[in-house]
Amino acid sequence: MKKTIFILALSLLSLSACKNDKKQTEKNPMQPQEMNMKEMDMKSSDDHEKDDHDHNATMGDKDRHINATTDKNTATSGIIDSYLQIKNALTEDNKEGAAAGGNMMLTAFSKFDMSKLTETQHKEYMEIIEDAKEQAEHIVKSPIDHQREHFENLSIDVNDLITLLGTDKTLYQTFCPMYNNKKGAIWLSETDEIKNPFLGSKMLTCGKVQKQIN
Amino acid sequence: MKKIVLFLIIAFVGIQFIPTTRNESTEILETDFTQSFEVPQDIQSLLKTSCYDCHSNNTSYPWYNKIQPVSWFLENHINEGKSELNFSEFGSYSKRKQKSKLKAIINQIKDDEMPLSSYELIHQNAKLSKIQKEELLNCMTKLRDSL
Repeated sequence: MKKTIFILALSLLSLSACKNDKKQTEKNPMQPQEMNMKEMDMKSSDDHEKDDHDHNATMGDKDRHINATTDKNTATSGIIDSYLQIKNALTEDNKEGAAAGGNMMLTAFSKFDMSKLTETQHKEYMEIIEDAKEQAEHIVKSPIDHQREHFENLSIDVNDLITLLGTDKTLYQTFCPMYNNKKGAIWLSETDEIKNPFLGSKMLTCGKVQKQIN
Repeated sequence: MKKIVLFLIIAFVGIQFIPTTRNESTEILETDFTQSFEVPQDIQSLLKTSCYDCHSNNTSYPWYNKIQPVSWFLENHINEGKSELNFSEFGSYSKRKQKSKLKAIINQIKDDEMPLSSYELIHQNAKLSKIQKEELLNCMTKLRDSL
């Protein structure tokens, strides 16, 4: 009987140990990241030249040949609005605001009317949305550094979505050369005034408009 | 006091009879990460020891896995891990998803968030050394850039 209690205690102990541990890593993600980023910077300097080619390329343009449209499509507005909310919250280092935008985006996806899509658009749309949804879900539940990592992918997805389906909004594709270990990243903005969502108050005005949509 | 202990023991014995689904498969799918991409042997074995237990269709279970409530915890844990990333099905992901998963893998390893430290506590061999970490990061970065 003592043995049983011992095993029970042991299993409970191992469970609680797991949970505590997880919390700790979540609480303090900055330090190791910064350290390792420096390491990576040094290590991957050879790769930089190659990386530079990718600066302007989005996933879709590069290997999937999305047929670009100039349609003034209003069906994408809900998705774009929620994207801009996430973007604006991140420029203000506002984690909760970004999370709320993530939820808004998930709702916008579920409300989106797919019946008007052509067959090829539909296939492409599903792939974009599958990825974008995951990014949005993570933005809802993550600390701000992670939100920004997911926002980077989300920006590519939303940009591709606009290429695929069009919008009536005027948007600016803006490029931040600093983010992601100087690999750079794009975001979309409703204004050509630079407010950087990746770096926030650390370097709010870093960035350059690359392209105007509409 | 005696009653409480007795109750706990009965409950503990009782929950041992609740079945759990085991995440085991001997088949290596065509869609497995190591089949879809050319991955060097040492990286393959790194992935198997440090990632596959929670991120594939085949877990090599620890000795204590048959004891409840540990099995429950592990089952949930593995399901969650697999829904985020399943190396056994990586090849069936769209290119877009593969690319964004590779990026997430890189970030998680870089930030020391994966493997989970609670997992490393019991699986000492799953801990990535500095060199292993770099090897893994290089390999994943190369793959991502090739997509």
